[in-house]
Amino acid sequence: MKDSFDVSAIFERIHPEDREKVSREAAEVISNGTHAKSEHRIVLPSGEVRVILGLGTVKRDASGKAYEMFGTGQDITERKLSEQALRQSQFYLSEGERLAHIGSWASADLGIRWSEDLNLYWSDEVYKIFGFDPKNGTPSLQQFLSAVHPQDQASLTATMKKLHEQHCGCDVTNRIVRPDGEIRYVRCVGIPVVEDGVFKGYRGTTMDVTEQELLTQELRREKAYLAEGQSLTHAGSWACNLVKRRIVHSSDENARLYGFDPSQGPIPFDHYYNTILAEDESAISAKLGNAIREGADYDVEFRIRRTDGAIRFLRGIGHHNPSQEIGEYVGITMDITEQKHAEQERERLRQLEADLAHINRVNMMGELAGTLAHEIKQPIAAAVANAGACLGFLEGERPDILEAREAASGTIGCARRAAEIIDHVRSLFKKDLPQREPVDLNELIREITLLLKGDIRRNSVTVNLELGEDLPKVLGDRVQLEQVLMNLMLNAIEAMRDANGSLTIASKATEDGHLLISVSDNGVGIPTDKIDRVFDTFFTTKPQGTGMGLAISRSIVESHGGRLWAASDSDRGSTFRFTLPNKV
Amino acid sequence: MVFIVDDDEDMRLAMQRILKTVKLRAELFATAQDFLQRNIPDVPSCLVLDVRLPGMGGLEVQQKLIESGINIPIIFITAHGDIPMTVKAMKSGAFEFLTKPFRHQEFLDAIHQALQRDQLARRQRNAMAELQERYKGLTVRERKVMDLVVSGMQTKQIASALGTSEITAAVHRGRVMHKMQAGSPAELGSMAERLKPSANR
Repeated sequence: MKDSFDVSAIFERIHPEDREKVSREAAEVISNGTHAKSEHRIVLPSGEVRVILGLGTVKRDASGKAYEMFGTGQDITERKLSEQALRQSQFYLSEGERLAHIGSWASADLGIRWSEDLNLYWSDEVYKIFGFDPKNGTPSLQQFLSAVHPQDQASLTATMKKLHEQHCGCDVTNRIVRPDGEIRYVRCVGIPVVEDGVFKGYRGTTMDVTEQELLTQELRREKAYLAEGQSLTHAGSWACNLVKRRIVHSSDENARLYGFDPSQGPIPFDHYYNTILAEDESAISAKLGNAIREGADYDVEFRIRRTDGAIRFLRGIGHHNPSQEIGEYVGITMDITEQKHAEQERERLRQLEADLAHINRVNMMGELAGTLAHEIKQPIAAAVANAGACLGFLEGERPDILEAREAASGTIGCARRAAEIIDHVRSLFKKDLPQREPVDLNELIREITLLLKGDIRRNSVTVNLELGEDLPKVLGDRVQLEQVLMNLMLNAIEAMRDANGSLTIASKATEDGHLLISVSDNGVGIPTDKIDRVFDTFFTTKPQGTGMGLAISRSIVESHGGRLWAASDSDRGSTFRFTLPNKV
Repeated sequence: MVFIVDDDEDMRLAMQRILKTVKLRAELFATAQDFLQRNIPDVPSCLVLDVRLPGMGGLEVQQKLIESGINIPIIFITAHGDIPMTVKAMKSGAFEFLTKPFRHQEFLDAIHQALQRDQLARRQRNAMAELQERYKGLTVRERKVMDLVVSGMQTKQIASALGTSEITAAVHRGRVMHKMQAGSPAELGSMAERLKPSANR
């Protein structure tokens, strides 16, 4: 080094941006200080920038005036660069942590000695996660634990104890309560640090996983709702490949439908398929085959035999997304056993109703049996008498041919009448399914009146027919409608027994496209408190009555789309009316 | 005259036809009431009655006729054949009980017999009525004489019983025999027998 050199030349080497700083620091030292320390950049002639650390001491004379400074100049460029690099990487790390909400921590004491602070290091992000201020320094163990949610403190403490004693790793998620009161979910992962076979403590990461945690909880809830929903509706969801006979997904409820235990693990496709009853299998196989070929959705019903032996009705609906592979279906299966049973019940009931109506008819006929035997014998006896008279006219020397012929005609007429009555009775006994045909109600009324002639006479009843002209026909079951009329008329006659009553049957067309038929008697009437009950099944005032007549009559009228009701004046008689829609 | 009461029109007409073959006339009624309102003419008649009739039944009609003292023979007809009813009807004095259908000859036989019976009954009644008329024409004394004649007394005994002369007694006796139109005391005796209240039915 030269003995003296140009200070200004040195000064010029100083980086322009740092010159002012250096001058100021130098001036300060010279005036006040003893030791100088300055870091500044210089620019070498090559243009390279270096960092210099200048350390100097100021010599002062007795008056305190600085007269000399000596010191060292050190090229600390490398150190500075690596410091910079370190700072940069620290910055990146910090940024990374900040962006990922992941902080890092380390403990030099955990696993070695239990101390109040466990020699804990927290990165910036950990402070942020906890809402602590790094200026207050690393929290003590107690401060740390008090930030943990009261319900999770015990388990976290236990985890720490475990780490301390066993030197194992951990990955736990607990709740913390930030100073502002907000609850966050925090995941803490720790690993033991071993250097050269010596345990040196722990380091790990801390993550705020609140969003994920809440999302997971939401998903779990929804999954539970879905399972609940499936369980309640006995509907199981599934996804499978029908061609490869593989199950992709099957809900717990699906397994349960088939009688399997979902907790026993995934159930293979064939287990499901083999529960289908042999009788139903070929039809199902065909339907599915068609659907697969066309890539179409399907909706099939079939029976299975569950593992417990029970037979259940299932309905499977499968949907194929055209973007999927052939045979890939997603769908639901429902247990429709109850509905099927209900349908079968309904069918059975319908049959029972028909049977009951038949029994009622037979009963009614039974009631008429005595009358009918009489009714039939009359025309037969008359026929015999006429035939006898015919013979009588033909006897003797001069047979009266004219009279004989008349007698013979009489015979035929009476015999026909007998046959008609028998036909009528037979038709009423027939147990046919309801037939619908156009029926002329006036004609029906006249026929029944004829059939009941005996009863009418026997009870001294006067019959008045007030039948509307041009009464439109009704689309209905002739036999059933006869049953209704007969029932009402017999009831009316019964009510007027021994009383010289008058029975009026009227028919007319109403404005709203219906027919109104009324059967009125002036018999004993129905007490007001009973009038609503007359249509009840098993309600009867007759000692031998079944109580079914009116109930069945009402049921018949209603099945034809009409209404049957009663009005009564005690002691002045009753009127039963019913409407029927006309055949349109 | 045959009276027919049956609620079945065909039956009524058929029975009328049967009777026509033997030229018997018949009157037809649908109800018992209608028949009861008819005054029975004074000719041999019988009644054909259906047991089951609206309103008043056949057996009731029978009762009513008995009560009114009408003695027409009744032939019951019925489509039923139950025995208690038959017994009851016969006990009450029915002439015959036929079950429908019956053969026309059966019917005619019953009718003929009934008419014969009725004719006989009428004659007897007429005879009886006449006898009673004759008896009514006797004076008190003549009736006494009749009793004595019937008891078998001779005229002399009668005279002393009455306290009159024999001739008076003989005259009374003659008048009694004449009024009563008795040919002999024995005949008178049977007349007296018939006139007794117990004989009157």
